Amino acid sequence: MFLKNLFKRTAEKIELQDIQAIILRDRPLPYHGVNVFLEVLNTASGKAFLKEIVPYVTNAKNWWNNDDAWLAIAFTYEGLKKLGLPYSTMESFPDAFKKGMAARSEKLMDINENAPEKWDAVFKATGNHIAVSIFAKDIDDLSSKKALALQVLEKHQGVKLRFQADFDTPIEGNFNHFGFRDGISNPEIEGSGAVQLNSKERPIKAGEFLLGYANEAGNNYHMPQPLEFAKNGTFVIFRKYHSHVAAFNKYLNEQAKSKDEQELLGAKMVGRWRSGAPLNMCPFKDNAALGADARRNNDFDFSNDQNGKIVPYSSHMRRMNPRDSKMAVMSDVNLHRIIRKGVGYGPVLPNGSTKDDGKERGLYFIAFSAKAMETLEFLQKEWVNNGNFVSLKNERDPIIGLNEGKGTFTMPGNPLPRRYIGMPTFNTLKGGMYLFMPGIRAIKWMSEV
Amino acid sequence: MDMNIKQLTQDAALKLKLYLATLGEPLDKAHDVISAGDAGLRSGELSELTIITDLKPDGARNLRLIFETLKGNLTGAKKVGTLHDMRFVFLENDTRLLFCTCYDGDWDTYINDFATKIPEMMDLIFGNIEGWPGIKSPTVKEFILSKQITASAWFVSHPKLTVADITRLEKIGDGLNKLLEL
Repeated sequence: MFLKNLFKRTAEKIELQDIQAIILRDRPLPYHGVNVFLEVLNTASGKAFLKEIVPYVTNAKNWWNNDDAWLAIAFTYEGLKKLGLPYSTMESFPDAFKKGMAARSEKLMDINENAPEKWDAVFKATGNHIAVSIFAKDIDDLSSKKALALQVLEKHQGVKLRFQADFDTPIEGNFNHFGFRDGISNPEIEGSGAVQLNSKERPIKAGEFLLGYANEAGNNYHMPQPLEFAKNGTFVIFRKYHSHVAAFNKYLNEQAKSKDEQELLGAKMVGRWRSGAPLNMCPFKDNAALGADARRNNDFDFSNDQNGKIVPYSSHMRRMNPRDSKMAVMSDVNLHRIIRKGVGYGPVLPNGSTKDDGKERGLYFIAFSAKAMETLEFLQKEWVNNGNFVSLKNERDPIIGLNEGKGTFTMPGNPLPRRYIGMPTFNTLKGGMYLFMPGIRAIKWMSEV
Repeated sequence: MDMNIKQLTQDAALKLKLYLATLGEPLDKAHDVISAGDAGLRSGELSELTIITDLKPDGARNLRLIFETLKGNLTGAKKVGTLHDMRFVFLENDTRLLFCTCYDGDWDTYINDFATKIPEMMDLIFGNIEGWPGIKSPTVKEFILSKQITASAWFVSHPKLTVADITRLEKIGDGLNKLLEL
């Protein structure tokens, strides 16, 4: 597969064979998959299930090769408790993980439209203990891997399937429901054995994404105990977003006259054209070849655009990774990165339609970080639902911010900036949870302890 | 019982004096203060942090040397971008420190950034406090929180303006003035 050409092999300094593949592997193109949520009714049965599922959990050895289907497993705090982990282990988790995503809604700005009371019933309820994700490049691979997992599950009466959420590439060619190329920029990890050929960024210390390794500050983040349980594990952010594609199309239509102006406004809000081509590499017009070229479409910084006249400071791409942007608030951009493996769900809205068909479509946002709870709270509070860090007062992210019809979007220009107003929320939160994703040996430890 | 009546009378007299002193002026909601979370007060976009704590044996001496070398001028703090003010006062014969600051948003959100951007400066100053675990320590948040004393009342003139806002408005004002002078 062509993806292999994207990587330059480097030294391996992390235990790839003990780390779950999903953390490092890129999604296949196109991708197909399923998230399955399980409830543990009985501790002994849960442990027996773990013991038997371990051989099917894919590790990250040769992660740059993502041809075969892979399976990943993660646990909520409630699930770990139900699996009978020692009291000292349960106590050693960070507070935000113990309390859970819903309980931290104020700190996450998950309020009003995005408040937990508005979530899907299945995410409000207790009993989401284990999440199993399977990714595959075609439906057949997915089905056979799923069949294997279900066979294991059927043998354990004390573990019940609660619900399954299928996902697929929404639009052929890896485009999301809004019609923009998806999943382009992920951090590179030092010591992971391969780096992508992006000359403007340096690999980030493994300890930012995996437990048991040194982080950017040169020490370890807080780890659950004991070390054999935490090592090579990480924390997972799972959030279900409902994408309001018709509202987005409608907003562009209302705010800009010609089709070209609408496309430009959309690109300014995202920071990239639909093809994935970054605005600062082609300010006036989309460049499909550049957008599709993974060797080039993320190989840039903002040194040629420090005033944001090409890529607005408020655009989604620049907010989520400001790179070398001059910011009003001292921030270390390498501390707030997450590894994203978001996937789309639901049927596609016909191209450009401004009429909502009432169908559910959107994104399962899946992300990894050794301090996932802290990072999500930082991102939600500082970079998504605020603008002070780039001197834009309370302005919020135009794509994932909580804008509720009152949102503004500032587009620096010559000589004066333009400000768009009355922006609705284009992605509303329908549910979410934190999970712990242990290393392979740790799953075995969990089944025996 | 008698004591209670006396207290109530005194309280009523005090409230009356306060009313007369303020002429019953209504309270402006813009200056309402709320809890800043786990400790401290918040007024609009701004928060306050007050700490009174023991210094290490050489703490005051080290800090004095730093402050005297800088002539009490802490320009370097400007790069943080959220600090409105900072104040260091030695108490009780140089054995204790009063530290007060006013800043935008929440301090704990940016603690990791301090640990990689300005770790030397943080430890050089706060390392003189008894028990300081180091800015890179995972327990530094809890340590600061454990020393924090929440103010009982707090006034800031412009609770809606962050440091970033003031910097921007100053620039706009200067630009406009220059234009008018032409």
